[in-house]
Amino acid sequence: MRLKRYIRVLGIFVRASISAQLEYRVNFAVNLFGSLLLAGGTLLGITILYSDGTPLGGWSYRESIVVVGLFTLVQGYIGAFLYPNLNKIGEEVRQGTMDFNLLKPVDAQFLISSRNINVFRLTDALVGAGLVIWAASGLENASSIGALLGLCLIVTALTIVYAVWFMLSMTAFWFVKVGNVTELFNGFFRAGAFPVSALPGWVRLVFTFLIPVAFVTTVPAEAIIGRWNAGSVLGSGVAAVLLLGVSRWFWTYAISKYTSASS
Amino acid sequence: MSHTDHSTTPVIQVRDLEKVYTVHEKEPGLRGSLASFVRRRKTLVRAVDRISFEIDAGQMVGFLGPNGAGKTTALKMLAGLLHPTDGFVRVGGHVPKERRTEFLKNITLVMGQKQQLLWDLPALDSFLVNQAIYEIPNDEYQATMREFSEILELEGILKKQVRKLSLGERMKCELAAALLHRPRVLFLDEPTIGLDVNMQVRIREFVAEYNRRFNATVILTSHYMADVTALCKRIIVIDKGHIVFDGDLSALVEEAAPGKTVRLELSENVSDERLSFYGKLTSREGLFADVLVPRNETSRLAARMLAELPVADVTIEDPPIEGVIGTLFAGTNRQAVDAVPAGAEQAAR
Repeated sequence: MRLKRYIRVLGIFVRASISAQLEYRVNFAVNLFGSLLLAGGTLLGITILYSDGTPLGGWSYRESIVVVGLFTLVQGYIGAFLYPNLNKIGEEVRQGTMDFNLLKPVDAQFLISSRNINVFRLTDALVGAGLVIWAASGLENASSIGALLGLCLIVTALTIVYAVWFMLSMTAFWFVKVGNVTELFNGFFRAGAFPVSALPGWVRLVFTFLIPVAFVTTVPAEAIIGRWNAGSVLGSGVAAVLLLGVSRWFWTYAISKYTSASS
Repeated sequence: MSHTDHSTTPVIQVRDLEKVYTVHEKEPGLRGSLASFVRRRKTLVRAVDRISFEIDAGQMVGFLGPNGAGKTTALKMLAGLLHPTDGFVRVGGHVPKERRTEFLKNITLVMGQKQQLLWDLPALDSFLVNQAIYEIPNDEYQATMREFSEILELEGILKKQVRKLSLGERMKCELAAALLHRPRVLFLDEPTIGLDVNMQVRIREFVAEYNRRFNATVILTSHYMADVTALCKRIIVIDKGHIVFDGDLSALVEEAAPGKTVRLELSENVSDERLSFYGKLTSREGLFADVLVPRNETSRLAARMLAELPVADVTIEDPPIEGVIGTLFAGTNRQAVDAVPAGAEQAAR
């Protein structure tokens, strides 16, 4: 019943988001064009990088494309769901319109995480998914079990990205302007375009434990190409649950310290 | 009109409510900005200082006070947005800061300077979002919309993009969006700010009508005295975080201004001295004169003036409420200035 209501609200947000974006017809077209351009650029980049067919850090051409595909997919997810919502938190705190979210009888964290959806960025996600499927279909070790496990790991990866991004945005309750904080995350996340296990040992440690980039692209990719290990799979699940829990706690704490903006 | 719950406990109970903010200060200019960037100077501000009051169901109460008096902070604590530093608050039996669903479905907060409507879409789209969020059944939604459209004259503006509406039109839509779920407790923070007089009257009438129909409890803050005098019998005056007056509007006028003005139109000239005999001559312009007389002697003195002076016309008026409130603040400010700085300076260190 409760879940049904949230799905209903989400549906209305999606429809309202699409309607709002359709109001600006030129922007609609430009956005769509931009997405295609970005996807094309990514493809071109990989092709050039691997044009002579040499494997990089133990990852073959096709294996790396799985990682790049996942990276593109996650970027689409960030662009479609996280960026349009979470990056507005600072502005809303600054102007005091955050009040309206806190006044609504639905979970306010859900509300501020789902109100706006940039549907055009979903084309990135689709292109990413397409790349993964295409690359994996040509690999010998790819199996349906691996694909299923990969799918689960993608879900945990998206959860991890959400939790981290949400917590960074949440600092807006104190610092108000935090656009730069999420840019920092973006910077680190660019490392996710490459297989983390191909990097030197200490970098690998940083990107696994300090900034969990490895869990976002490399770990799911390893499952899909049939090279997973139980440790990373378990680690990914634990990291997702833990980070989501901490983000929830942080949220509760942040709103207890909320000072609103005087009118 | 029809209301069944005549419960005896007040809808709003507030005891010793307190809110202390930490704010940082900055000296003007770039140098100040740099200093503040490196080391923030923190100051404690007691925005609301142990206030207590109760409000019964269906009452409309006006919060008055100068800017920064703590009215909005108090309202936001009642609405559950701000967590009190200390004290006791119940709204409809709920602790506001817990923000329970039943509580949130029963209240609303309208802020004249902020808007919740989706900027790029027609107001109707925002209403649909609220319908889903508040789980308003379709038939109830339709009925409410019909009523609101009629009273607020929303016809023709609901399908226009919100950003293309005038301020007044937008405010009407904001009100409708905020009241769509038929809350029983309304917090209205400057709902008429920036609107022209006609629109102010329209909004006022709507609030009064809503109060009648749903027996809603209303707390209203406004800069426009007319809003408050038209809607609220009871006034709570807040200044420097304290309640300096809580009671009937008429009692406030009596307390702060113990006189009435007898406004005379004379048929022939009479000397100032002769008029001053009856009371304090506050204005004189040709054949028009205002005489301030003690409240309890108004009728006796007015009768004497009618009998003894060549009077063409006479009216008896309360002094304008703006002036009364102004006098009240002037008084409390003087006291506050004496009392506050010692503590404030300590906090700043």
